[in-house]
Amino acid sequence: MNNETMNLGRRSFLGQIGLNFGALAAGAMLGDEAAAARLKRSLPHFAPRAKRVIFLTQSGGPSQIELFDYKPQLQALAGTELPDSVRQGQRLTGMTKGKPQRILPPITKFHRHGQSGTLVGEWLPHIGAIADELCFVKSMVTDQINHAPAMTKFLTGHQLPGRPSFGCWASYGLGSENKNLPDYVVLISRMKRGSDQPLYDHYWGSGFLPSKHQGVKLRSAKDPVLYLNDPDGFPRELRREMLDGLAGMNRQHYKRTLDPEIETRIQQYEMAFRMQASIPELTDLSDEPESTFALYGPDARRPGSYAANCILARRLAERGVRFIQLFHPDWDHHSRLRSWCVSRCVDTDQPSAALILDLKRRGLLDDTLVIWGGEFGRGVAGQGKWDSPEAGRDHHPRCFTVWMAGAGIKRGFSYGATDDFSYNVVENPVHVRDLHATALHLLGIDHERFTHRYQGLDFKLTGVEQARVVTEIL
Amino acid sequence: MSGLPEHVLRGRGATVAFATLTLTLVPLAYGEEVSFSGDVLPVLSDRCFHCHGPDENNREAGLRLDVEQAAKADLGGYAAITPGDLEDSEVWRRITAEDEGEIMPPADSHRKPLSAAERDAIRRWILAGAPWGKHWSFEAIRRPDLPSDAPPSDASSSDEANPIDAFVQARLADQGLQLSSPAEPHTQLRRLYFDLTGVAPTPAQLEAFGDGSEAAWQAAIDNVFASSRYAERMAMWWLDAARYSDSDGFQIDATRQNWPWRDWVIGQFRNNQSFRQFTIEQFAGDLLPDATQDQILATCFHRNHMTNGEGGRDPEESRIDYVIDRVNTTGTVWLGLTLGCVQCHSHKFDPISQHEYYSLAAFFNSIDENGRAGMAAKPYLEYTSPAVEERVEEMSEFVERCREEEVRQRQRAEARFETWLQQTVSAESDDYQTWHTPRPQVSSVEGTRFRVADAHVVRTQGPSPRHDDYRIVLEVPPAMQQVSGVRLEVFPDASHQAGRFTRDGNGEFTLTSVLVAGRRQSSPAELQLELAAAVADVEADKKRKTQWDTRYANIRDTLNDDARDGWTTEGVQAITPHVGVFELATPWQVEAGDRLVVILRHRSTHGHANIARFRLSLTSELGETVRRTDGASPLADLYQQLASEASIEQDLRNRLRDQFLLGDRQYQQHLQRLRAAEKQLGVLRQQAKPRKVMVLAERKDARATHVLERGVWDAKGDVVQPGVLASVLDAPAEQTRTRLDLARWIVDPDNPLTARVVVNLLWQIMFGQGLVRTPEDFGLQGEMPTHPKLLDYLAAELIQHDWDLQHILRLIATSKTYRQSSVATPEMLQQDPENRLLARAPRFRLPAWMIRDNALRVSGLLNDAVGGPPVYPYQPEGVWAEITMGRFDYQPSLGPDQYRRTLYAFWRRSSAPTFLFDSAQRRVCEVGVRRTNTPLHALTLMNDVTFLEASRVLADQMVAKVSTSEAASQPAESRQEGFQQLALKILSRRLHDDEREQLQSVWQAARSHYQQHPRQAIDFGTVGQQPPPAQPVAVDTAAWMTVASLLLNLDEAITRE
Repeated sequence: MNNETMNLGRRSFLGQIGLNFGALAAGAMLGDEAAAARLKRSLPHFAPRAKRVIFLTQSGGPSQIELFDYKPQLQALAGTELPDSVRQGQRLTGMTKGKPQRILPPITKFHRHGQSGTLVGEWLPHIGAIADELCFVKSMVTDQINHAPAMTKFLTGHQLPGRPSFGCWASYGLGSENKNLPDYVVLISRMKRGSDQPLYDHYWGSGFLPSKHQGVKLRSAKDPVLYLNDPDGFPRELRREMLDGLAGMNRQHYKRTLDPEIETRIQQYEMAFRMQASIPELTDLSDEPESTFALYGPDARRPGSYAANCILARRLAERGVRFIQLFHPDWDHHSRLRSWCVSRCVDTDQPSAALILDLKRRGLLDDTLVIWGGEFGRGVAGQGKWDSPEAGRDHHPRCFTVWMAGAGIKRGFSYGATDDFSYNVVENPVHVRDLHATALHLLGIDHERFTHRYQGLDFKLTGVEQARVVTEIL
Repeated sequence: MSGLPEHVLRGRGATVAFATLTLTLVPLAYGEEVSFSGDVLPVLSDRCFHCHGPDENNREAGLRLDVEQAAKADLGGYAAITPGDLEDSEVWRRITAEDEGEIMPPADSHRKPLSAAERDAIRRWILAGAPWGKHWSFEAIRRPDLPSDAPPSDASSSDEANPIDAFVQARLADQGLQLSSPAEPHTQLRRLYFDLTGVAPTPAQLEAFGDGSEAAWQAAIDNVFASSRYAERMAMWWLDAARYSDSDGFQIDATRQNWPWRDWVIGQFRNNQSFRQFTIEQFAGDLLPDATQDQILATCFHRNHMTNGEGGRDPEESRIDYVIDRVNTTGTVWLGLTLGCVQCHSHKFDPISQHEYYSLAAFFNSIDENGRAGMAAKPYLEYTSPAVEERVEEMSEFVERCREEEVRQRQRAEARFETWLQQTVSAESDDYQTWHTPRPQVSSVEGTRFRVADAHVVRTQGPSPRHDDYRIVLEVPPAMQQVSGVRLEVFPDASHQAGRFTRDGNGEFTLTSVLVAGRRQSSPAELQLELAAAVADVEADKKRKTQWDTRYANIRDTLNDDARDGWTTEGVQAITPHVGVFELATPWQVEAGDRLVVILRHRSTHGHANIARFRLSLTSELGETVRRTDGASPLADLYQQLASEASIEQDLRNRLRDQFLLGDRQYQQHLQRLRAAEKQLGVLRQQAKPRKVMVLAERKDARATHVLERGVWDAKGDVVQPGVLASVLDAPAEQTRTRLDLARWIVDPDNPLTARVVVNLLWQIMFGQGLVRTPEDFGLQGEMPTHPKLLDYLAAELIQHDWDLQHILRLIATSKTYRQSSVATPEMLQQDPENRLLARAPRFRLPAWMIRDNALRVSGLLNDAVGGPPVYPYQPEGVWAEITMGRFDYQPSLGPDQYRRTLYAFWRRSSAPTFLFDSAQRRVCEVGVRRTNTPLHALTLMNDVTFLEASRVLADQMVAKVSTSEAASQPAESRQEGFQQLALKILSRRLHDDEREQLQSVWQAARSHYQQHPRQAIDFGTVGQQPPPAQPVAVDTAAWMTVASLLLNLDEAITRE
């Protein structure tokens, strides 16, 4: 908090009571709140390894075949029809349904990296360079083949909109470590292309959980948080005057109504006032040394870029924000992998790696779980003319790769395996819900016991089907 | 707080003592009767049915406890439940077992063990003979007798006792409590207006109400029901339940034309349509004999679900989703059943099988639809709305005013041009330069190296990677005050491939993206500057013969972040330098030391097409200068002409004037407003044409309906016929064939659910929460009603009065329960924190949409028009663009459309209106309420333009009042009166002395601040569509605006008391 806030804060006669506690202090809580309070007292279920999560969401479905899942034997099969014994009736999207499924071998060369000897595609040299820090789960599985349902599943555990997002669950269960910032912050890369996959606000929506747990979008616009800035010509000292008057009149009214919710409201206005200082302080990178920009790359200077958002992710982690989620859109490479997929790799490669290195240097990686991944993978068959440079790949739910780091996740480790076609998981499948269970476990939460009652049912992030903690990667 | 099991905290029906959060549980008094539906069934449901309930696929040990016969079946000398015999009741043995392997529910089920009180209830129920019954909501609705032991109605009141009060008072009397005294008259009226119109009463309405006589109260209720605002308020409730939206949702989120249905809903409430008919028409208006257009329009209800237009999506999968959505919505809105569970398996708690679920789906499965989205989502009704014409007239008038203003402003700007021209002509100009070429600093991502040669031409050297991004930093020359464009020259060289433009490949270059950013001297940040357009001296022919992808041709394709297209001159034979010019959307104002950063990306599919030699230049000029490639400009031409002759040719004068006007901010503001208004009017005129409203229509051949295994769309199981839920209300097969049959079944007087569910929703409208606090779930896992008999009484009343909603609302409004005070004493909060007994009226924050509507209303900004095409209230810039990466752009409405009620605001599913919080999401139907209290809400109310503009308008009114000559003679008194008038508008009451002092102090502080900073007063006052405040009153306006904004943010202002 800067000096100005401190001074203005002293003029306020209000206690510094945080968002969640403020709501609880209100006494007259709805049934929801009472249940939440009971839940919160029981958490964490056991000692957490991770205090926070940074989720680097790559929207659209990055190609595991070009980037992580090395299948050199495919070169010999180029242009041949995908055997039915491999496909096993897998659905295709309407884009490739009924068309020949001819094998398109990986376009990239793979290089071996580090002591672990991990193979990573040439378009991700920086990720390759830190492969010894990462754990690659090559056997991820989902059951959705279209973007919105698959991303909704990836983030909320269910394909239909309406369930709380992972970050909301984390906020709901564990609350905040910073009273001046939201528990769950969302950052979206600014792109200039009419992307085919809009990032719906239900991806960070709270569903049936109280809406205070929903992700707060940090924008690269003039208002980093919606409505954060006071209007032109209305300076901060006047806002303080106005809020003091507001609190005074609210207190006078409290004496007549005796409604404790009024005190909560006063505290929320005070928190808003503090956010007006804490958010700009967070997003202003003036205090970052040149070495930061060298580490994250020149793109990091451009607010709204993925690289700049990676720096913000680290700053949010430093400030104790519970769940930080980046979205980088446009990984849906149905054609022209050579230009399209490359571009997304260039956007994200150096900054993602820099974030890991930066967290490690600052000692934050030990208790921060970082997850990198998209909603599904891509198929081995070429879309379009398989042997043309313009070929791409269709969606593929049966296997994809996610990497993780930090918080006790094994380093320089690969888990799970796919068949020779990167089509089916043949070893250690990890369903999306297993990923959720594992991440919750690291946060000290038993996913089976972490429920919220709504419409008479006990909902949990991992859903109704059996999920397991992937202990082999811990 | 005690660690009581959750269900104990809920209301448990009239037979059980009420347990509060703070009291320890009061066990059933000895001898008190155990109620099956109130005490036993909820426990069995919550702890046992998951594995021993209706779902046959999840049934353990073959045992089910939801059916009497099975629960009491002989299992060889014992039964799960043996009436009157604990020893032989396995259930009793298991719930009291000490052994971890025996105890039920088992630990690994994560279900709570039974509490002592729960076990006791089971014990006494078994001992009492285990009488069976139905879940309460499935029992037939019988009009209950009024409680005989209700305390006599207040002696001072002559009116007949309201039955609602009788039930509520009886329950209170059990607890030794009573109703609170009546709320103050202004509070009562305000409550009524918020609950039933969504906005506060006006000072005139308050005055007419006076001290709130019985007659005045009746008159107020009549007024409310007679107003369109009532219909609009009720429509908002229904739109949330109907998941109404102006866009599809999902990936494409295309815009729909269904808004005439929204107007139909308003009309229904306006005419107080019977809920029975309202239901029938929405389910099956098309099947009614001689169906009218409006009856067909009504069926849009069941098309308001999301539709998925994602490329590659199987339309049949989508179609199944829509059918499922209709079933679930029907369950939630009419039946209070969570049918969604039954899509995948038989209900785990309620007596509904998966077969029955798909029998319901069968009613909706033969709609003549194809699973598509956007404007291909047949069936449609071509419908011409009568509500557009007036809107067009209103907007035409506004456009006319904008046009007149534009003409006036243009004349002024042209006068400014003449002055400027004279000054320019007389100024020294020997060294005028249109394009400046500062020395660049260049770096690359993939390894290309650079050398800056003569005349700041950049030459590449070193490695020739397949792709590369060049990053060029240019210090803006001191002569420039702004940067409006960037000029890129690409040079051939003999050393290049074939003497052309690159060092490898075929000699042709391909530029895929260009980014421009500005970096201030003092900051490390490089703010991206929007590029409006780009032009090139030459572009490749898209029809050329080439090895490359022909998408590489045009320079405008360098403005997106898409590497699959871009600029090349491939195919042009002659070897000459090429030029591209990039125009900034808004000129970047610069100061000494600021730098411009240009990023040239070469990421083509073919690769090896990186520019080998280039130069970048900057200009400050607007218009034609940044839209031509030859480097010429009107200013340069002017100086050249002046060097040889004294006069300026007309053609050049015109070019200079055009350029000048582009840079004249004041004029541009008015011109842009006119253009936007014209565009808005054009769109509005389109809406007057027939709209394609999504409706229901049966296809010729019915589709077979299958049970879907695990709910998966293509896992087809048994074929089922249309059918209703037998456990709710059985009906013979010949009466359950069509949607019309289904609708009639739903509103059958013998249907035990619908009327209960509906009156509960009406109660929620009037009390903020229902009598059943899970309005979407009347099943076993839902809450019990707080006042079961009252709920049944109202339900019976609704049915008897032909489903007249106003009858029920009036009954509620005339009760003492409704009119009592909401003041909560500490004792009340202690005893009944959730106000389930209603010893006081509820006090709760208004829904966000009402807060907005009310701000418009109290300031006088509200546009009273009813119906018509959607409008676009203020939202911060970029809220649509940033999540759709620019595919949708949000433009707030201009003119009177800006001040319409929130009901009419365009609803985009991928980005709900930002000014609403805690609102329904309109993706699936929602009937519950959320009320959270967060800093984001505070920020919205403090800084959303709507609230600031309302404050400004209120301030204008106050300034006008206190500046009258009469008032001016007594400034202090008139100011106090001003505070009172503001309070009357915003709080419906006059202020207390201490409040006035508080306001006075803020007013004084604001005023002295703005006296010191008069420029800020004008900035603060210039908001929304309001013109800047006049200089002489700007300071006062800003002070009043501060006070008005404060009042609008008061807890009381946004709360229903």
